[in-house]
Amino acid sequence: MNFKKALIVYRKELMEMLRDKRTLFTTILLPIILYPLIFVGFSSLMSRQQVKLEEKGATIAIADSLNTAGSALIISDLQTIEHFSYLPYSPAMEKRFEEKDIHAIITISDSLSAENLHLIKFEVRFDNSSDQGRMLIGKLNKSLADTEKKMVEQRLIEQKLNPGILKVVSVVETDISTAQKKLGSILGMILPYLMIILLISGAAVAAADLVAGEKERHTLETLLVSSAQRTEIVIGKYLTIITMSMVNVLANLVSLYFSATYMVSQSGLETAGVSFPVSNFLILFLALIPLSTLYAAILLSISTFSRNMKEAHSYEQPILTISMLLGMISFFPAFELSNLMALVPVINISLLFKAVMIGEYQISHLLLTIGSTLLLDVLAIWGTIKLFNTESVLFRTEDDSSVKGARKNRKAFFSTFNGIIYFLIGLVVLFYLGSYLQGRDLGSGLVQTQIFIIALPVLLILRFLKLDSKKILRMKAPRIVELVLIPFIAIPAAVIVSLLSQLVNMVFPFPSEYLEQLGKLFQMKMPLWQQFLIIAVSPGICEEILFRGFMPRFFEGSSQKAVIVITALLFAAFHLDPFRFLPVFFLGLLLGYLTLRSGSIYNSMLSHTLNNGTALLAASFASHPIMQRISTGGDTLTFWLFVPAIVIFIIAIMMFHKVTANREDTCAE
Amino acid sequence: MIEVKNLVKEFNKKDGSVYRAVNDVSFEARDGEIVCLLGVNGAGKTTTMRILSTVFKPNSGTALVQGYDISKEAQKVRENLGFLSGDTGLYNRLRPREFISYFGRLYGLDNAEINRRIDDMADLLDMKDFLDKKIDVLSSGMKQKVSIVRSIIHDPPVMIFDEPTSGLDILTARNIISFIRDCKDKGKCVLFSTHIMREAERLADRIVMIHRGQVLANGSLEELRAESGALDLDDVFIFYVNRFSMEPEVKEHEF
Repeated sequence: MNFKKALIVYRKELMEMLRDKRTLFTTILLPIILYPLIFVGFSSLMSRQQVKLEEKGATIAIADSLNTAGSALIISDLQTIEHFSYLPYSPAMEKRFEEKDIHAIITISDSLSAENLHLIKFEVRFDNSSDQGRMLIGKLNKSLADTEKKMVEQRLIEQKLNPGILKVVSVVETDISTAQKKLGSILGMILPYLMIILLISGAAVAAADLVAGEKERHTLETLLVSSAQRTEIVIGKYLTIITMSMVNVLANLVSLYFSATYMVSQSGLETAGVSFPVSNFLILFLALIPLSTLYAAILLSISTFSRNMKEAHSYEQPILTISMLLGMISFFPAFELSNLMALVPVINISLLFKAVMIGEYQISHLLLTIGSTLLLDVLAIWGTIKLFNTESVLFRTEDDSSVKGARKNRKAFFSTFNGIIYFLIGLVVLFYLGSYLQGRDLGSGLVQTQIFIIALPVLLILRFLKLDSKKILRMKAPRIVELVLIPFIAIPAAVIVSLLSQLVNMVFPFPSEYLEQLGKLFQMKMPLWQQFLIIAVSPGICEEILFRGFMPRFFEGSSQKAVIVITALLFAAFHLDPFRFLPVFFLGLLLGYLTLRSGSIYNSMLSHTLNNGTALLAASFASHPIMQRISTGGDTLTFWLFVPAIVIFIIAIMMFHKVTANREDTCAE
Repeated sequence: MIEVKNLVKEFNKKDGSVYRAVNDVSFEARDGEIVCLLGVNGAGKTTTMRILSTVFKPNSGTALVQGYDISKEAQKVRENLGFLSGDTGLYNRLRPREFISYFGRLYGLDNAEINRRIDDMADLLDMKDFLDKKIDVLSSGMKQKVSIVRSIIHDPPVMIFDEPTSGLDILTARNIISFIRDCKDKGKCVLFSTHIMREAERLADRIVMIHRGQVLANGSLEELRAESGALDLDDVFIFYVNRFSMEPEVKEHEF
């Protein structure tokens, strides 16, 4: 790797970028024009709106059924409010009120307080959803409060008391926040979001052009046959993306800065002691560089993977959306930077910005943020170089992903990509439809979820593709000896799974609502055998069809071990439950092993049913003396059970491994 | 000098099967010699040349370009190689001079050297008028000339042309043909591929016929004519393709 050559590539790419009118317009020209326009437009619009609202005033109908000196005083005070006009109330006013011709109706009547003292009841009907309504009620309240104060003083004087006795507490507010800090907190909310978006969008425009664009224009091969090494090419392009994204951020910031200061000076606001925190801007700008490098690497690898610009743009889209959502964290008041948060990309920068803008940040957080981002960056750039050196990626050819194509080419349907897409669609359906079904009725909802969302689609797809479901799903009779061993595997496994959950609970304590939700599952009011069908048998069959029958077929390009791990990960993710991820992952590994090793899905079906059944029985008989002995109250088991469980489990697995020694390949065709 | 030794290149097809695009190809091209890879579309010509240009890596076998191994010394190979094909496009936003200088710098030449060579070539190919216009606005003939200069800016001893005249009009194609002859006269080793028999007939010192990834025949036009007994290169080519297709039958009879 010769850095000089990377620089040659970089200089040329930059020159090309700056010659592209579109890029030039979006990254530099647009921000320069946009902010002044936005600010000038907004501020003139806002001030005009405010004046207009005040001038518009309000028309109010008053019904005074009291006609006392008190009510007269109130009304005469109300009449001093500027731009407000009053009409005497008549039933006809109701219609005008509805038509918004009249903005409020006030009724003054007689009332008694709890202490049987005279009260003047002042009723206002108004529309709080309109700007005018809110303005109106504010002014009315202020006027009323003044009048009330006058009347109370009057009363006290009549009683020969000093009106001063009413004052008990004197509130003195000292706002320690400086104007500087106030400005910082507002900027700290908006700026991180804005800057992250700008950074990424600037990078995305450049990245798509740099590799996918070269593929589209057939210039990539020209570059590849030159004496530049691929690493040099990648580094050169990578630096170009970083530069373009930072230029975009800088152009926006500078334009934003000038138009904002201009607006402040024009508005005649109190600006003494307030200056835009230029030094903070600088810190932020520097802190953005690592994030910029991370995105440059990620977007460059997307561009490398894509066949053309259009494809690159569509692959970039989800990255942009996710980053925007992560960047929005600065809008939430509750989030502050911690050591843990400082390790999460995008979120850390967003929160760091917020802290820097109010002048309260820790150097350790700054370093952690930059360090962790740089670490990810190194990984990402390494991956990009790898990708760039992979022929099958750099020269990816068209694949037929149409439904017709899938039918024509059944084997092609089972690709890793399709597997992940199928899984994601399933996850979304489960999330919406599944929770809807279970919300209506937990028991039947669970069964419907299992059958209609998890199992049936698989069977229908296999039917549609005219594939042999029995063969694909490994529905092959297991041997007796395997079936005999399964209980010795499944029941200890259930104990291990349960203990794993308890371990997770110790590290990340389950929230109480979560436990309540989980408890509902075991407290359904129905006979035990029905519960057994719902909780143990139906997932035992349906989930196995999907995760041990169908999903492994998508990943057959990988080794058997990898297939087991991948499907177990998907299985764990499918439960949409971060607290049970680890235990379910363990269960997934076991079940995947049982099926793939023996070539028969019935083994894992039985094992899954036994596992869930054991958990159900343990929960149902929690108060039984036997359970009392092995549990520490409720459905938590004592830890010493781990020892016999793991011993039996290991022995049984070893025996299973032995008896299936000559069967492991029977499923592969 | 190019020496190709038992080159094999396989691609994974989407249905999981493996397609062998180049199947045990061996041949060589000496300095001052024009060798033509002749074959129909999809015969494996482009794949072979892409391997020689180090864009693709072979599954097995190797090749030496000017004595450098394409797998182990890829950069040295590229430094000694000029490559021109339908897929070596130009950067439309640059000017010819900038475009050529860019590649010159990548080859490690200094600016004075680059400018001298550009001026020489511009005189030769009559490019003075458009050297400083945007490539975007050039005609395809002008672009072809820019590509030629780009491929030879570092004065490589070995030149590879992959279907250099495909899609070009007669006048532009003539530019290329004379450029190829010029390379030979300067003592360079030239390998070019085509599916146009006439082009092979006119240019090649030696013809390597390639079909379904395999070498059918390798020899001068006269040698091939003599062996096949046909005069027209079309007929010569058909003769070898037929002999290749017959082979399995011959083998069957042997058993």
